[in-house]
Amino acid sequence: MQFGRPFGFRQLRTRLAVLYAGLFAAGMLLVAGLLYGAVVHNSKVQVRQELIANGTVFDRLWDQQTSQLRAAAGLLARDFGFRAAVATNDRNTVESALINLRRRVGLRTAFIVDIGGNVIGLTDQRQMQDASALSTKLDEGVTAGVANLGGQAHKIVAAPIMAPALTGWVVFATELDQREMRALERMSAIPLTAAVYMRRSDGSWSSADADARIADPSVSRFIEANWSHGQPDDIKGAGAIALAKPLPVVAGAPPAVLLLQYPMRLALNPYRPLEIAIAVIGIFGLGVVVLATWRMARSITLPISLLDAAAGKLADGQLASVPVSSQDELGRLAATFNRMSSDIVEREKRITHLAFSDLLTGLPNRANFNQHLDHQLRIVERRGGRVALLCMDLDDFKGVNDTLGHPTGDELLRRIAARLSEELGDIFVARLGGDEFVMVKAFADDTTAIDDLARRALTAIEGPIHINEHVLETKASIGIAIAPADGSNNDALLRSAELALYKAKEAGRGTYRFFEEPMNALAQARRSIEVDLRHALANGELELHYQPLFHLGADRVGGFEALLRWNHPKRGSVPPVEFIPIAEETGLIVQIGAWVIQEACRQATQWPEHVRVAVNVSSVQFRRPGLSHVVLQALQNSGLKPDRLEIEITESIFLERSDSTLQLLHTLRGLGVRIALDDFGTGYSSLSYLQGFPFDKLKIDRSFVMPLLARPGAAAIVKAIIELADALGMETTAEGVEEPGQLAILKRHGATSIQGFLFSKPVPALEASQLIKSKFKLHAA
Amino acid sequence: MVLAWSAVASPAIAADIDVQVRGTDGAPVVGAVVSVHLAGRPTPRPHPVGTYMIDQQNIQFHPFVSAVPVGASVMFMNHDPVHHHVYSFSPAKKFELKLGSRQQNQSVLFDKPGVVPLGCNIHDRMIAYLDVVDTPWAKTADASGHVLLRDVPAGAVTISVWHPYLRAPGNSVSRTVMLNEAGAHSERFVTPMRAPPHDPGSGY
Repeated sequence: MQFGRPFGFRQLRTRLAVLYAGLFAAGMLLVAGLLYGAVVHNSKVQVRQELIANGTVFDRLWDQQTSQLRAAAGLLARDFGFRAAVATNDRNTVESALINLRRRVGLRTAFIVDIGGNVIGLTDQRQMQDASALSTKLDEGVTAGVANLGGQAHKIVAAPIMAPALTGWVVFATELDQREMRALERMSAIPLTAAVYMRRSDGSWSSADADARIADPSVSRFIEANWSHGQPDDIKGAGAIALAKPLPVVAGAPPAVLLLQYPMRLALNPYRPLEIAIAVIGIFGLGVVVLATWRMARSITLPISLLDAAAGKLADGQLASVPVSSQDELGRLAATFNRMSSDIVEREKRITHLAFSDLLTGLPNRANFNQHLDHQLRIVERRGGRVALLCMDLDDFKGVNDTLGHPTGDELLRRIAARLSEELGDIFVARLGGDEFVMVKAFADDTTAIDDLARRALTAIEGPIHINEHVLETKASIGIAIAPADGSNNDALLRSAELALYKAKEAGRGTYRFFEEPMNALAQARRSIEVDLRHALANGELELHYQPLFHLGADRVGGFEALLRWNHPKRGSVPPVEFIPIAEETGLIVQIGAWVIQEACRQATQWPEHVRVAVNVSSVQFRRPGLSHVVLQALQNSGLKPDRLEIEITESIFLERSDSTLQLLHTLRGLGVRIALDDFGTGYSSLSYLQGFPFDKLKIDRSFVMPLLARPGAAAIVKAIIELADALGMETTAEGVEEPGQLAILKRHGATSIQGFLFSKPVPALEASQLIKSKFKLHAA
Repeated sequence: MVLAWSAVASPAIAADIDVQVRGTDGAPVVGAVVSVHLAGRPTPRPHPVGTYMIDQQNIQFHPFVSAVPVGASVMFMNHDPVHHHVYSFSPAKKFELKLGSRQQNQSVLFDKPGVVPLGCNIHDRMIAYLDVVDTPWAKTADASGHVLLRDVPAGAVTISVWHPYLRAPGNSVSRTVMLNEAGAHSERFVTPMRAPPHDPGSGY
């Protein structure tokens, strides 16, 4: 299965689980994110409010402290004795008064600076310098605020000493140090940190204590940006919210701020349990979702997996079905799949059956037989043992078809098949086509079992078979070949069995024969003939002999029948009966036949006008296209008048495709060619042929002519045929006339012409020409 | 209230000097003390004439600025129904006077030249200045900022202007000029002034 590209899960289930878990996780993250955002926002707002409140508290404290100090300073500054001491520059008194005051108010630093910048009450040199510089600033009017004393930021409050004019200031200073800041921090409801920063000339800020540490850059930037408006804001990069509160400074002193900081971490502390709760709920929920999805996905994907597996099985050609467990789409899909699966298997069975069965009889067909035999041969090859192939052919089945028609023939085959199946039980029986049946049986080594089988088969088909009104007595011949001795593959074994069958036929019908090696030699000879025949035409080994037809009325040679001869370079003259069937089987007859027509026509042009030439045309030639073309070509090439060419056909050409045969006959007739029916009276032909086509001539078969002298009734048949022919306007030629007595009878009954040794055997072309010239005197007895 | 005293012997040739004192904002500096010392020759000692008075009325000293010659006795007269405790820590004169209510008065002799700020230990807002001068030619400026000093001997003289709010070292500026033998001479002083404290004594 191939699913989504980016993940490529092998299982739908995993994919679903991951998808839903992912969605849930995303949802949880969103909720958690929003919640966190709200919490942060909320706590920020709270912290800001707190910072503002603290800032306000600080302002109030600052003011309160300022006024307290100012009150204390003012009290001293207005003390008459103190003023007197200051005005009279009574240093000792003044210092003692300051010490007294420090104790009373609880201050570390209290001093006096007069308008001239003289300082009393300080000992530190740096502080004294700063204090001295303070006088001019105090004179400008700001008498409370932050000022630098000896490097430490102090909050100072000054009160003027009027004696009665302004003579100086009593200055109280409190250090804005850690202690002070911690005190301030303790006032707050939230744990903020307070620190005082002073601006340096370069714009950065440093702590206001003696260390004068330069503030963290982020803090420094924050103060620089916010100190003027005093609103709380985030310190970027420090994770804290802060309020920079500008402090009043003594005029001219650098700006100072009180920085109240509150770390977000602390602000969020109260929400920590909530965060943990969300995380726990989220993880727990995620687990539940994964589990639930996994289970749900299973309920969805299990049927799909089953379908997947079943489809795979079906693809391999096995019957597959899945349980239908629900009413939903999956259930319907499963049901449909099951139906489809069984239909496919059913159809496949039928197709297989059709492919491997004979439609007519229902027996295994040739393909099936080939497979089966091949299989058996392989077993033999591997495990030893033997296989018998029995090849059975019905005797004279052709006759049944010809006389009773194909439907009857087919029905006969069906009955035979049924009998074989019934009688032979589990023996493999197949029909290869036509009336050819085969049986295959594996056996150990005793061939009596095979004898028995052959006999049983022959017995099975004996006995009358009723088809319509007909009662048919059927016999068959069987050829048997045994593997591996008679052939180790299908073709070889089948060939051997067929040769044995041929022998069985020869031996008289209704019997069986085992294959013997000589049969094979015969077959070899046949094959070599076939091979040689292919070259015979090109090598000029073929020759036409001509047997004259003596015209009784004209008392002269009226024509010749062209007869094929093969002068084999090694074998010598090969009889036509040996090679003509082979030429017909292999189709070489078409090529050879064409040559015969050409050659005969060419030869006939050498003869006088009244002498015709007759050429035998095989049914094979009739079946193949192009005969009429060959004839036309031969006539054109030779310039022979068409009515001097006589095509001799036998009734066998009507055995199949009689419509197209008739059509071809008419075509030939259309060319002006004469058509003669050869071997008339033999075979199964009926008189209907005579009605169907207006032959120019009937050739009375020798089997009617030969007994003319021996059997009294024979003359009657010949007489009837001749009269029939006369009546239909056909000529007659009697074949095989050897006795003058025969000639006499034929003459008496009015045969048109005769042919036979009495007059002449077939002769080469040269002699034929001389025959025409000779004067003959035929002696009729 | 005008304080006046006369010069003793006047030399043969003398001139009158009219001095006008204004702030840089153009306002006349009322009460500015203008005094003339002879330059390059001794300035004759002044002789106090008559009574000099500083009244306390409505919790204030009157006048705010006075000029008296060295050796003058100044009478402090309390017109208020409350007590006053007049004092000065000035180097020129340190003293304390406790004045009962209603018309109590006491005199104080100022025998050294210099500025004597006067305060009241009971009422911080009360403040006044007494300039004890060692020249016969000194006067406080009138409402239009004018001072006319008569019979100043011709020659080089130094004219000084003092006022407690005058923004200058010692709250004083001076200029030396040549006086012609006769006729009136006028000088004009324009000086920066401090704003008077709003409520002296109450701090801020």
